[in-house]
Amino acid sequence: MSESNHAPLNADALQYVQYDGDKEESYLPAIRQLISKDLSEPYSIYVYRYFLYQWGDLCYMAYDSSSTLIGVVVCKLEPHRSGTFRGYIAMLAVQEAHRGKGIATKLVCMAIDAMKARDADEIVLETEVTNTASLKLYERLGFMRSKRLHRYYLNGNTAFRLVLYLKPGTASKSPSGDMMGGGYGNMGPETAARGDGVMTDARSSP
Amino acid sequence: MDPKMDSGFLLPNETLEDSYNVLAPILPEEVIGIMDQLLCYEMAWHTGYPLSQTLFTSVYIDKLLWPEPKTVEEAQFYRGDLPAGRRPGVLLEVLRAYCLALVKCCDFVIAKITGRDYFEEEDFCTHTYNRVLFVQVPLDVFLRELDAAVERMEDTDLEMSSSLRKAIISRLDFRRDFLRALDLDCPLEHLSNYWPPILSNLTSIFTTQQLGKTVPGSFSTKIQRRLASTVPPRPIVELEFKDAFEKLKQLCIDCEEATRFTSLEPDPLEYQSFLLVFASRAPTPLPYSRSYLATLLFHPQILNATSSLPLTDVRTLVLPCSTILSPANWSFSPPRNPLLPKPPRLQLALLVDEFIERTGQPYLDFWTALGQNTCRLRRMLTHVIGGWDQLQTDASIVDADLMRVVTEMGMRDEVMDSPLTVWVYQKKLWMIEKCVLLGFEQDIYLPDEYGGMYHFLSLISGRRKVVLEAISAHFVTRARQLQHADQLPEAADVEDGAQHIASLISEADGVSSLGAALASFYTVLLYLKVLPRPARPFSSQELRFELRMKPFLALQPPEVPPFKDWLDKVQPYGPYELPSPSFLADVQNADSQLWSNMDANIKRAKEAFSAVMKIGATNAKCGGVKEAWARDVKGVLASCVALGIAVAGVRSRVARSGGGIKMEVEMGVQGLGIGIEIPLMGTAKRYAEGWVVAKVVKG
Repeated sequence: MSESNHAPLNADALQYVQYDGDKEESYLPAIRQLISKDLSEPYSIYVYRYFLYQWGDLCYMAYDSSSTLIGVVVCKLEPHRSGTFRGYIAMLAVQEAHRGKGIATKLVCMAIDAMKARDADEIVLETEVTNTASLKLYERLGFMRSKRLHRYYLNGNTAFRLVLYLKPGTASKSPSGDMMGGGYGNMGPETAARGDGVMTDARSSP
Repeated sequence: MDPKMDSGFLLPNETLEDSYNVLAPILPEEVIGIMDQLLCYEMAWHTGYPLSQTLFTSVYIDKLLWPEPKTVEEAQFYRGDLPAGRRPGVLLEVLRAYCLALVKCCDFVIAKITGRDYFEEEDFCTHTYNRVLFVQVPLDVFLRELDAAVERMEDTDLEMSSSLRKAIISRLDFRRDFLRALDLDCPLEHLSNYWPPILSNLTSIFTTQQLGKTVPGSFSTKIQRRLASTVPPRPIVELEFKDAFEKLKQLCIDCEEATRFTSLEPDPLEYQSFLLVFASRAPTPLPYSRSYLATLLFHPQILNATSSLPLTDVRTLVLPCSTILSPANWSFSPPRNPLLPKPPRLQLALLVDEFIERTGQPYLDFWTALGQNTCRLRRMLTHVIGGWDQLQTDASIVDADLMRVVTEMGMRDEVMDSPLTVWVYQKKLWMIEKCVLLGFEQDIYLPDEYGGMYHFLSLISGRRKVVLEAISAHFVTRARQLQHADQLPEAADVEDGAQHIASLISEADGVSSLGAALASFYTVLLYLKVLPRPARPFSSQELRFELRMKPFLALQPPEVPPFKDWLDKVQPYGPYELPSPSFLADVQNADSQLWSNMDANIKRAKEAFSAVMKIGATNAKCGGVKEAWARDVKGVLASCVALGIAVAGVRSRVARSGGGIKMEVEMGVQGLGIGIEIPLMGTAKRYAEGWVVAKVVKG
């Protein structure tokens, strides 16, 4: 890829940083810019704030040597109405010139580790059925396709739901009494970010 | 400004409203161009996009519908009075008639789809943004408008070339036929008459499309601003004419096919076959066509058939010529004194009624699932199976009561053990198999899961076969009993019915054998390290097994096999990275049990599916869809043959590889020269969509 010549060749020169709500003014505009360029769905500022206000610590960013944001992953983690404590990868994007270097994988791994440390039962996400690079990325890590979602995206594309179980017994969990409908109180992943996981990072041909 | 986020934002000097003049005279070419463009948007809407991004971008349609007209006469491209000289010309009147009918088509479509189970946005967008699509205006008003438009076009005073004239008339004709076919009140008996005329007219539209001249100004995103909606304006959905035309053709063909439903034998199992075949048509039927068929299925004339559908189903499968279902049972009255016991036959009738009523919902749920898009069908089936699991528990309670009554009547030997439970169980097992097969059809499983999932499939269909064999034994007993009792016509009926059971047994046997053969084939490929196997640092085989079994974990029966048992089956030689030495010995020995079992299973599957073919479509309860049925059975047979070739290919290459195999197996070094091609869904490289047979190529 010719673009990669412009980027630092040494991946070690990259810096991985956890999002910090106190620095929203400097972080958020760059995140929005990076993601809105890559994802097919339009996200309003409220979608970003929905995730970052509540789960800023599950957002990781990659910076190049000149302190430019080149990659980001945005997640959430909350009790799901199925009874599981469910992590959700909402957005993942890496700047085009920096793709194919494992930055997205690294970001996702950091997010998975963080959700694991916080006792998540499972992690889920959606990605377009045609986004083979994205599918490969997640499936290499252990995600499985659990559902095919017909016309899931606003652009009419179909998605796979990908699931990673982290703990035995996850499949048999059921909603406890006070948890019934727990997932409805907040904006669910489907309404908050329908385009989550459309990782155009991986869309470029290898 | 971000054009994606801030859609609808006015650029400097951009106006809020369009300046397109809908009353300006248009050319015949432009009428054709606009009509065809409208057709494109109409079909884009049919595929699931909202009206706001499709038909409602037409300035003409907007003018007709807003401000809301109180009558059809008021629905003009203008409101109020116009001076005589400014009235729209003939061509605009013709376009208006076309647009009115088009809007009414949309009204019919929405009514049909919302009348059945569908999923907003996923399948279809019913939103009309507060525009009323002439809901109250009857069909004949629009037909009259169209007829008048055709008359205007045929007027020889109207000057234009005959090709243009014909092209416009054929579009008006199409719209009339289409509108009539979409009418909600078509009588069931004449349904099949509506679609053929449309299809025969379509070609003339397609071939004259190039006569049209587009009028881009007559479509605009700006109208979206005035539509009651919570979403910002989104781009117009462009569907090319040839694609739109294909969709339209497909819709007509699918609906015509659906009308055949009304001529099926009134048999729930025939209905089920028809629904399944329809759902798996390629390309997949549009939401309208699915609703069209579902409306027929749930039509009172079908659903309230003289004999209850679940009851017919039960009789066919487990209670042939049985006293339990004798119509006479329903003619007994309860004793006046409630303290006296009810006559046994009345008890039977009451028990059966209770069970059939209990069956109603799960039965309808199953049929509803069969009417969904196939992604939804797979997901819904997992829930339906749960419902049938509950039903099975209830069936066993009714069965116990039935057994008590028939024992009292001294007829215990006329009835098989727990018939209702068996009936439910058999169907439930079939649904589980269908779920797994749909998973393969939809590329849910990754290649290194194939072995495990085909093994599970084989296990379930093996169970179903055992259940069916018990049923079959009962049919034999029952026929003999009837013969002894000299009830020869009844005995012959039972023997006929046994043919259906025989067909089911062969099919279950075929699925089980082919599943087993594929399971062991893919297991060998994993040991040979020719299948991609992701590293999966965050996962374990046990967790993945749990995830795959999730829909079935609560079922009892069939119980999901314990992980250890399952692992023994899918890793018979230990871990794939480091198999036991016996693997090398077995895989290199062409006569080992490993290979001979595979061959035997393939052979058995072939024989079983050939038997299904021989027993025939009618006995398979697929008489109404016999062509599709035969194609499917042949497809599975071809899969068996393809697997035989693939197995032979791997075996011979392993035998030829000598020491290479050791390196391959122990160190993962590419020395075998075996490459594997997995045929993906929708590539037309599978003989049967649910049966994924890898092709062996040079590696």
